[in-house]
Amino acid sequence: MKTSLFRPFAALLLATPLFFASCNDDKDPEPEADNEFITTVRYTLRPTSGTGQAVTAEWKDVDGAGGNAPTISTITLAPNTTYTGTIEFLDETKTPADNITEEIREENDEHLVVYTLNPTSLMTITRTDKDGKGFDVGLTTTVQTNAAASGNLTIQLRHQPGTKDGTAGPGSDDANVTFPVVLR
Amino acid sequence: MLFRFVAVLLMAGLCLGVVHQSTAQNGCNLPLAGRITDHESRQGLAGATVIVQPGQQATQTDADGNFHFHVCPGAYQLEVRFIGYATERAEVRLSSATVRNFQLHPDAVTLRGATVRGERVEAPLPQASGSLTGQALQQTRGQALGEALQKLPGVAAIQTGPSVFKPMIHGLHSNRVAIMNNGVRQEGQQWGQEHGPEIDPFIASDLTVVKGAASVRYGTDAVGGVVLVQPKALRDSAGIGADVNLVGMSNNGLGAVSAAVDGNLRRLPALSWRLQGTLKQAGNTRTPDYRLDNTGFREHNFSAALGWRKDTYGVEAFYSQFNSRLGILSSAIVGNRADLEAAIARGRPAINPGFSYQINRPYQQLQHDLAKLTGFVKTGNGGRLTATVANQRDYRDEYDVIRASSDAGRRNLPQLSYQNYTTTADVVWEHPTLGNFRGSVGLSGTYQFNRYAGGTRQFIPFYTNRTAGAFVIERWQHERLLLEAGLRLDHRDLRTRRLTRGFEIDSSSYYGVERNRFQFWTPSASLGAVYDANVHLTLRADAALVQRAPAANERYSQGVHGGIYEEGYDISRPAGTPPLQPETSYNLGLTATLHDNPRLNGELTVYQNSIDGYIYQVIGAPITTIQGSFLPWRFQQTDAVFRGVDATLDYQLAANWLLNGKAAVIRARNRTLDDYLIYVPADRFELSVRRDWSGQKTARANQFFALVRGTAVRRQTRVPSAEYDPQPAPDGYGLLGAEVGATLRLGGTPVEVSLAGSNLLNERYRDYLNRFRYFADDMGRNVTLRLHIPLNFSPN
Repeated sequence: MKTSLFRPFAALLLATPLFFASCNDDKDPEPEADNEFITTVRYTLRPTSGTGQAVTAEWKDVDGAGGNAPTISTITLAPNTTYTGTIEFLDETKTPADNITEEIREENDEHLVVYTLNPTSLMTITRTDKDGKGFDVGLTTTVQTNAAASGNLTIQLRHQPGTKDGTAGPGSDDANVTFPVVLR
Repeated sequence: MLFRFVAVLLMAGLCLGVVHQSTAQNGCNLPLAGRITDHESRQGLAGATVIVQPGQQATQTDADGNFHFHVCPGAYQLEVRFIGYATERAEVRLSSATVRNFQLHPDAVTLRGATVRGERVEAPLPQASGSLTGQALQQTRGQALGEALQKLPGVAAIQTGPSVFKPMIHGLHSNRVAIMNNGVRQEGQQWGQEHGPEIDPFIASDLTVVKGAASVRYGTDAVGGVVLVQPKALRDSAGIGADVNLVGMSNNGLGAVSAAVDGNLRRLPALSWRLQGTLKQAGNTRTPDYRLDNTGFREHNFSAALGWRKDTYGVEAFYSQFNSRLGILSSAIVGNRADLEAAIARGRPAINPGFSYQINRPYQQLQHDLAKLTGFVKTGNGGRLTATVANQRDYRDEYDVIRASSDAGRRNLPQLSYQNYTTTADVVWEHPTLGNFRGSVGLSGTYQFNRYAGGTRQFIPFYTNRTAGAFVIERWQHERLLLEAGLRLDHRDLRTRRLTRGFEIDSSSYYGVERNRFQFWTPSASLGAVYDANVHLTLRADAALVQRAPAANERYSQGVHGGIYEEGYDISRPAGTPPLQPETSYNLGLTATLHDNPRLNGELTVYQNSIDGYIYQVIGAPITTIQGSFLPWRFQQTDAVFRGVDATLDYQLAANWLLNGKAAVIRARNRTLDDYLIYVPADRFELSVRRDWSGQKTARANQFFALVRGTAVRRQTRVPSAEYDPQPAPDGYGLLGAEVGATLRLGGTPVEVSLAGSNLLNERYRDYLNRFRYFADDMGRNVTLRLHIPLNFSPN
């Protein structure tokens, strides 16, 4: 008697999950389309006088965090020379590469590019562009090199939505890369 | 105060001593005790009258059906009376302490024409457990689930700012704590420390925590314990009732309204229903010195239940939806190691906003749906069969700070967008009582898949998880001893599909999909005992062996999430080493409970949980990315041991004055490194004094109470030396709280009103287990007003 009561009930309830489970999907994951991804920082320096060569240095990590090590070029400049610097931020996981610099220029009131030299005696970098409030942006620069030497240049892209005050303090780093610098 | 506490402890010792003494000597204080139970259900009968002749001593049984007398040696006639049951008489000859139990038979004559319905009372558990019900639960209304549970000793919370609390039991959290939401295992996005359980605590009329391994019953994840969120049982008498809760908080402007309406039809007594809903909103939290920007949250939740219940069978359908938007303190989202160090050096957030309910990026948007169908059949000789099927969908979108002019910014897209679908099915057969044996056999299955939306970041890969388990639990009860043994075997089949980016061939990108499959058989076994040493003292012991197979996030999480770079074990393990293995826990617990004493009651639990292959996260060596140097939180595996003590003591100082003390102390070691483990709760103590004025039931206002509470948390000095923590553990702290309340009769409705204050001295503090401790202080003074209005629409 008891088994006859249990059997159909149990069978019904045991079968129910099969209906629920049938909504499986077997798609493969798709490549991410992260619009905020930066793979490459490209710094281009053109001498304003003399016959010196333009220099393009890249800090590039196309496979993102982990994986293969980034490739970093050395910035080799002539001593006692003036250059104009242009910085670009690219996402090269896409073809053609996505130029993030445009977005940064559009929102220059919440971005600041910070250039830090070690040693500071290497050269002088001056930001030459301003946002609507008169604060520096730093997408374009003037670079005055000093005597022959070597060191490092750290470039930070600070994202400071609503908090930009002209200093590096507020916000967080969207990019933070260090190039070796040689003056010779 | 300390002196009193010591005195209380001494008295506890004396009380136990007295019991033993009286057994030894044959004075006129021989204990005669026993328990009155229903012959059929074996449930204790509260309020039965027990009379001893000669001498005309009489007493009534307590809530569990226990009674006791002190008498001289000799022969006595015992008589037990209870309405609805046949009166029992027995002769007893006393020369030493005696226990005499009675099982009363229902009185057929009295019961004719009446329907007796009983709720099943769960048999006592061998594990230590704690519950929040009634007024204790009412005092937590408006708080998050994990926050409310911290009232129980031994339960802490891994916290992310003022709104996200993840329950931690005996030092274990996340994948090791199972949360049963109305009988269904909560399956959410368990892959971050800032992922709180997607459950509306207003749904519960009972929050229970089973401390210690309960995997045999609840599945392989319950290595650390189980949280049971139980709604009120559906109404079983004709009529319509409602329950309204209103909460307001001063600190963050929280306002919450929660209401439930339930009913049962007079014409169809088998049919019951309930509708419930909650709205909750809070703004920026205030620390003693500043406000925390973007820490508001919004929740709207609802649930519906419909039940059809007869004596021998019943079905119940349940649906609930949880929706939440949680702002994340923007100062806590740091780009890299330099930003983290700058934030720590700054000591407080850079942004100092005013009060606002506005939630901006970064924020989380969550939705959890649960649909459940459950039924039971029982027959006299066939036992009881219960089956449950449930479907859950969990959506989690995380919105980072991005450039508004980017594509994702313009379309306001989330950076992470995950969906988790889970179907669970359980069948449990409780066999009829055979002699002293009761038990159950069960089968359970889970089918789960996890996906992320196209175009968003892969933080954890696509995965499909199938688990199947079978268990058997047998109990043997005789007189005052209950033994329980359980066995379970689970099989987990985890398949992952991970997108890989490769650049080996040339610098142009190509994508690949890496497929993996992990299969594990994980056994669990448990052995427990409950012994009623006397009517006031219950002793419990439990031992368990549990294996837990690793989850997808522990293997394969990778990327930046909430300002933290995380990496699964299988991502960063050295080439040639085996993949992540299951962890094995050996759990032991001992509990002594003093109960139903006129003055002193309490509970003491000691435990040890030794876990081989314990999976945990620590900060590894910095890695270089274009965003700068990152500190990766890497999953590691080691051998660990957790030992601890939980204690709670109630002492009735005088009539209507109650002193309560709680303590939780835990020590955890990494046995492989011979070092401490990171993120283990600091020693925690609480002392409160409560005064009640019961007053006239019919008075306009009655049941006044007032309480003062002091909470002390020591500095966590037992921190690992081998593992890096960006900031040392913060100082210990002490908080003062107080609460007053009363029941007001407004037009016949007993409205419970209370006013509670926490951190009344506005103390500046940071808790070791709060992930925001690197960036900001904890919440300052907060005053909460709570109203509970029960309504009854049924005609009298």
